[in-house]
Amino acid sequence: METLSSLAVPTVLILAGLVMARGKNAFDAFLRGGAEGMRTTFSLIPSLTALICALSMLRASGAAELLTELTSPVLSVLGIPPEVIPLAITRPVSGSASTAAFSALLEETGPDSLAALCAAILMGSSDTLIYVMGMYFSRTHVKKARRAVVIGAVGAVMCLFLSAALARIFFRDAA
Amino acid sequence: MIGKCFFWICSVSMVCSVITGNTSKLASAVFDGCADSIELSLSLLGMMCLWCGVIEVFRDAGFVGALARRLSFILKRLFPDCADDSDIMGDIASSVAANMLGVSSAATPFALSAMEKLDKRNGCGDTASDDMVTLSLLGCSSVSLFPTTVVTLRYAAGSESPYAVLVPVLICSVICTSFAMLLSRLTAKNKPLGKEKRKSLGKRKERL
Repeated sequence: METLSSLAVPTVLILAGLVMARGKNAFDAFLRGGAEGMRTTFSLIPSLTALICALSMLRASGAAELLTELTSPVLSVLGIPPEVIPLAITRPVSGSASTAAFSALLEETGPDSLAALCAAILMGSSDTLIYVMGMYFSRTHVKKARRAVVIGAVGAVMCLFLSAALARIFFRDAA
Repeated sequence: MIGKCFFWICSVSMVCSVITGNTSKLASAVFDGCADSIELSLSLLGMMCLWCGVIEVFRDAGFVGALARRLSFILKRLFPDCADDSDIMGDIASSVAANMLGVSSAATPFALSAMEKLDKRNGCGDTASDDMVTLSLLGCSSVSLFPTTVVTLRYAAGSESPYAVLVPVLICSVICTSFAMLLSRLTAKNKPLGKEKRKSLGKRKERL
C-alpha cells in the first residue's frame, strides 16, 4: 500500500509532462498556475502568522495540555488520539486556523505518530464546513438551512472517528 | 471568523498562563510563532507552485470538463429536482470535478453560480431546497484526489513518507461524502424514489 501511495505522485507528474510535451501552450498553463499558487500562498501569510502566533501562545500557556488532559479519558475510550482535538475544533471553522493547528501538532508529536497520521487523514478528507456553508448561502435568499448544517456537523464528527480508525488500520506500527 | 478565533485563543492562553504560572513563556511564544509561520509558508511555497502549475496544465488540457461529463451520471441522481436543467447540472459537475482535482479556486465560482440558479428555482424562498442542501454539503465534504496542503506540511515536518496518507484520505473522504449525500437524500422533502415522483416522471415521458 505504501509503494502505491508513493508512486502516485511521480505518476501524476509524468502525466502532466506528457500533456506538456504534446500541447503547444501547455507549459504556459503550468507557469500561470504556478504563479497563481504562489500568490495564494503569499496572501495566506498574514492570517497564518496571526493564528500560528496565537496557537504557539496557547501551547506555551499550558492550555493545550490542559485541554488534552481533560478530554483524554473520554477520547481514549473512543479511540481518538487526544492531541487531535485542537485540529478537530478548528477544522470546520477556518482553513488557516486548521492549517496552523495541524502544523503545531506535527511539530509536537512528530509527523509519523499516530496522532499526526490521524490528523492528516482528518485534514485531507474534511473541509471548512461553516465557511463554505456561509459563503454558499450568502448568495441566496435562504435564511433557514438548519438541515444542511446539522448533516454537515454529523458528517464532520463521523469523519473524525473514521480518520482515527483508518489511522489505526493503515499504520499499525505508529505509536 | 478568523478574528473571533484569534481573540478567543489569545484570551484563553492569557488566562491559562496566569493560572499555571507560565506568563514568561507567553511572550517568547509570540516571537517563535512568527518565525515558525514564515518558515512554514516558505516550505509551502515551492510545493504550491509546482502543484498549482500541474493542476492548471490538467485544467487547460480539458481534464476538468472530461471528469465533469463522467460525473453527471451520479450527480443526476443526487440532484433529482433539477436534473432536467442542463445549465445548473453543468455548473455543479464542473465544481465537483474541479474540487476533486484540487482546483478549489475554480470550484467555488461554479458552485456559487449553481447556488444562485437554484435560489431562483426555489422562488427566492427563505428555506433551503433539497438540492441546495445537497450542493452545500457536497461543497464542504468533497472527495480530494490529492490533498496538497497535508502532504506538503508532512514533508516540511520531516516525515519519512509524506505521501503515505493518500490512500486513507481518499477512503475517508469517499465514505464521508457518500454518508452526507445519503443523509441529505434521506431527509429530503421531495423523495426522489417515491411513488409520486416516479409517476410524474412517467407522465413527463409520455408527454414527450
